[in-house]
Amino acid sequence: MYRRHKPSATEKRNFAAHGVGLSLPQNDTRSFYSLSQLVLSAGHLRQPPVLRHSKITYFEVEILDAQSKKQICIVDKVPPSSTLLDVKHKFHKTCPQWYPSRVGLQLERNGPYLKDSVSIQSLAVSSIITLYFTDLGQQVSWTTVFLTEYTGPLLIYLLFYIRLASIYNEQESTKNFRHPVVHLACFCHCIHYIRNLLETLFVHKFSGGHTPLKNMIKGCAFYWGFTSWIAYYINHPRYTPPTYGNRQVMFAALAFLICEAGNHFINVALAHQNHSGNKSYFPSPTYNPFTWLFALVSCPNYTYEIGSWISFTVMTQTLPVGVFAFLMVIQMSLWAQKKHKMYLKKYNTYTYRKAAMIPFIL
Amino acid sequence: MSRVFLTWAVTHSVKEVQSEDSVLLFVVAWTVTEIIRYSFYTFNLLNHLPYLIKWARYTLFIVLYPMGVLGELLTIYAALPFVRQSGLYSISLPNKYNFSFDYYTFLILVMISYIPLFPQLYFHMLHQRRKVLSHTEEHKKSE
Repeated sequence: MYRRHKPSATEKRNFAAHGVGLSLPQNDTRSFYSLSQLVLSAGHLRQPPVLRHSKITYFEVEILDAQSKKQICIVDKVPPSSTLLDVKHKFHKTCPQWYPSRVGLQLERNGPYLKDSVSIQSLAVSSIITLYFTDLGQQVSWTTVFLTEYTGPLLIYLLFYIRLASIYNEQESTKNFRHPVVHLACFCHCIHYIRNLLETLFVHKFSGGHTPLKNMIKGCAFYWGFTSWIAYYINHPRYTPPTYGNRQVMFAALAFLICEAGNHFINVALAHQNHSGNKSYFPSPTYNPFTWLFALVSCPNYTYEIGSWISFTVMTQTLPVGVFAFLMVIQMSLWAQKKHKMYLKKYNTYTYRKAAMIPFIL
Repeated sequence: MSRVFLTWAVTHSVKEVQSEDSVLLFVVAWTVTEIIRYSFYTFNLLNHLPYLIKWARYTLFIVLYPMGVLGELLTIYAALPFVRQSGLYSISLPNKYNFSFDYYTFLILVMISYIPLFPQLYFHMLHQRRKVLSHTEEHKKSE
């Protein structure tokens, strides 16, 4: 197409020149006639957008609504080196209500959502790219989610611990002697959530960024609901201490502390790996004995977490805590399986012997 | 789900409730609905669905569904004093596993849960009705 145009352009000019050069009054109309004939036969006079004389070829991104297929807007002048995130920012400027983390863009109507880091160059089939837009809903950052999810249980448990008159019968509360387990349980519970809060603030580095608000509400409802349920029974005036007495409590408390420490060190190790930017190898066991689980299991932080909750159950011997621990086991095993699959795909030299969460099983 | 609960956990467990009128109410509502619904499925599988069955399925619920819900609620309400008296399915503190469950409160919560759930389901069915019956009319007109 390019070649066809050039001669026609020069031809046109030559013809025009010749036409003018020949003889003036009569040949004006004739030259005009021949010029118009040439114009009509030449086809598109305007060059296609890709073929600009400047060296950078810009792309145009057309954004359609995924359900109605109507065009929302066109983002033009997108340089080829930009990523999808830049497109989302430009889209945000034209339509201010869709901020970038809320925008979900797909290549086809039922396809997967494209990641922000995808470059425009890799998507482009022609100079105009069509993307389908879905509103992902109100987004909230992961830090906010975790902070609310962990502050809630901390405060709720303490409310129950101080034995508010509206929850427990006041007469019974003042009368009954509180077994030391109850104090120990409160202490352990608070340590767990304070550790989680501090890690969220100072240790964790979140790669995802945002999540829909619905997820936060669901998570908060789960944690807060269960904490109130377990706190009610542990701090109840009619609480029955564990059957095997102090020995059971001691062992369970020790196990709990070990698991908490382990969880902390694993999180620190994972965060350091993220921090140093070198994600090409999987964290390996170091001199720290708590990290030795890395040799057996790919997500030892989940292993330690369920260890904490199981020891808390044994320590307080309370069925609701057992139910909570059971649900956490299920949830964490699902997360661990997902992460395990991701690691298997990512790290080529990964040993297949490793389990996802519980050594040798699962 | 609510049917299983009402049959086993309420009507079967609390024998005194079985002679109530509300039981008759929900049993009639359920049986009529089910007869129509299963004949709808059968005819669908035979690809020979009479319009009457389809109409009946998507219209009669307007009366039968509230009737069934009323019967269910009245039955649970009638069962409450007997549950309170006998302490059915309830565990109280103190016990070895530090757990308690009060069936009486649970039944009251079930009754309260009908309030948000019933309108949702009812409007969903009305919406389905509009979709299905208007679709058939268009189909008929085009034929």
